[in-house]
Amino acid sequence: MNGYRRRSRIIIIHANAALVSNSGCRNHVLRETNAAQCHSLPESIYANGGHGYAMSNPSKTEGTEAQLHSLETRMLCAFIHEATQFNPHGHPGAQLADLARRIFQVEAAAIFDADLHEVYRSGEWFDDVKEVLQNICLFGTATDDRETGLIRRVLQMGKLPIGAMLLRGETSVIVANSIASIIAITFDRYHAFANESRTENARQAEQLRTTVLDSLAHAYKTPLTVIEAASSGLAAMGGLTPTQAGLVSLVDEQAKQLSQLTSRLLTTARLEASDLIPKIEAVAIAPLIDDVMASLREQLSGFSVRVVLPNDDVALCCDRSLLVALLTQYLDNAGKYADFGTTIMIQVVEESNAIVFSVRSIGSTIPAGDYERIFDRYYRSSASASIAAGTGVGLSIAKRAAQAHGGNVWVASDAKEGTTFYASLPRLPRGLPAHE
Amino acid sequence: MLPFHVFPGGCQPMSNASEPSSIKVLLVDDEPAIRRALRATLNELGFSTTEASRGEEALQVAQTNTFDVVLLDINMPGIGGMKTLLRLRALAPSVPILMLTVRDDEEDKIQALEGGADDYITKPFSLRECVARIRSAVRRARTPERAEDAPLSIGEIQVLPARRLVSKSGQPVHLTRKEYDILYYLMTHAGRAVTYGKLLTAVWGSEYHKELDYLRTFVRQLRKKIEDDPSNPKYLLTDAYVGYRFAENPFASDATLEPSSLRRTE
Repeated sequence: MNGYRRRSRIIIIHANAALVSNSGCRNHVLRETNAAQCHSLPESIYANGGHGYAMSNPSKTEGTEAQLHSLETRMLCAFIHEATQFNPHGHPGAQLADLARRIFQVEAAAIFDADLHEVYRSGEWFDDVKEVLQNICLFGTATDDRETGLIRRVLQMGKLPIGAMLLRGETSVIVANSIASIIAITFDRYHAFANESRTENARQAEQLRTTVLDSLAHAYKTPLTVIEAASSGLAAMGGLTPTQAGLVSLVDEQAKQLSQLTSRLLTTARLEASDLIPKIEAVAIAPLIDDVMASLREQLSGFSVRVVLPNDDVALCCDRSLLVALLTQYLDNAGKYADFGTTIMIQVVEESNAIVFSVRSIGSTIPAGDYERIFDRYYRSSASASIAAGTGVGLSIAKRAAQAHGGNVWVASDAKEGTTFYASLPRLPRGLPAHE
Repeated sequence: MLPFHVFPGGCQPMSNASEPSSIKVLLVDDEPAIRRALRATLNELGFSTTEASRGEEALQVAQTNTFDVVLLDINMPGIGGMKTLLRLRALAPSVPILMLTVRDDEEDKIQALEGGADDYITKPFSLRECVARIRSAVRRARTPERAEDAPLSIGEIQVLPARRLVSKSGQPVHLTRKEYDILYYLMTHAGRAVTYGKLLTAVWGSEYHKELDYLRTFVRQLRKKIEDDPSNPKYLLTDAYVGYRFAENPFASDATLEPSSLRRTE
């Protein structure tokens, strides 16, 4: 028992609608059945004396029709109940096969999970049972063969076949249908849990990666500073031959690149931290753009940069450092991919409830198929890979920065109009108090 | 031919033996490797160095020695760089103090500048730049106090404070009162980063400490009047996220004379 106690209403309704209407026990088996009573099923439900179930003789042949229905109902109820008690993290196939055999007193049961392509069996089965089950699933064969005692069912979720069931023994058509439905629902529940924990695992792995990156980046900073200081020191002392100077400048250049990369990773790691909460303040846009441009003076030196603002006082309540990170990425990107000597245009447009920032450059274009993916971390457009050195991290920073505000990013690109990166930030980020 | 590109400005020595009366540097950083790299280069270039690994140690050394300049790391265990700065200032009010800061901590830089530091150098730094900053700080400190209305001249810009007259290449430039005040303040602090807050306080008063938009509008007007290309200024530079800096030598070909914050790539 794993503490998973939720009882599926769907299952109850399903079972009741199909089976209980004639049985006379409307009020109601399921609610009364508990784990303890089910412990030694099927006997325990036959012996249930305290709740007005009169059936004392469980024999299938001697019972009246009503008694038979009642018995079937209770068997199904027990089946449902136990199935809901399974550990949702383990595959229920083998347990369900055993359970079906035990409760419905069939000779053998086999279940096929089409998703995993796996057969779970209980009792004696012929060798090619897997093939038979596959065919049932594939061709939708749901027949009962009186001669061989084989009962075939397709497991379905809605119209989608997700597996097959094979029983050898005696059950009514309606009970067999119900068993198949319950197995299908149980399978579905298992797969839902499995997906959920896969997602959770992926999230945890990402978190760990972020933490590792962060501490690595920190650890790299001092050695990089020393390398840069030492190599630039060598150059500053002078007296080097041209070859020596070339080598020193190579060390210098590469150390710089490595430290830029390190800073960038640090920024991403911070942005990826799950507890990123934007620090909202009123930010004057015009001076902020000045600062961003000043910080990128070297990268933008080969271009003329035009800034178009709706007015000089345009301001936005947002996280200043995130907006800086976003615009820096866009401008840095433009500096990398624009044709030398062209104009890079920074535009700010006020919309009724958002401010849209855009950076347009003329140069290499982005294939339409990459418009979305280009914002994914580590994705680099095939068109970009050959043009500029990069890590594929930058634009994901922009995306994350916008998303942290409840905003979004997109890009449009063609040879004629150039490439324009957009970011729309709501005037008041959703869910954030205005006064902060 | 090897595919290397050569340093801008080649690799001629930055100094010869004739460093003016050997500059004495106090080097304060908790990272031994950083001190080692700095010491090696500075000694080779004729500076004399004394090292301290903590603020406490630096204060002790400064009690009994005088220095021409202090290089002070802002992030250190113990009392840290900021407290050391304030105490050093009290101990030696006129010694130039250059803070070693990290790239993304603009708040630190502003605090250091407003706390009395003369300048900051962003890690990772190039030693060419570091040496240039040390020399310029020492030169400023050794320059005798200029009379308040002595003429100022940087590049093509001349200012006659006595008559509040500004000219560029001999042509008069008409400035409003505030524009003149900004220009005068920045030129008298040429080569140093002036925080937005400091400039606002100097020109408008401390109650305007945060009126960044105000300042920006005036600076833009000023640039239109004194710069050849206002969008690519040579004189009145923006020190990203910190403030403004008036170029000491606007026509220097050596780009490393500019602060690293203007060349950062983040």
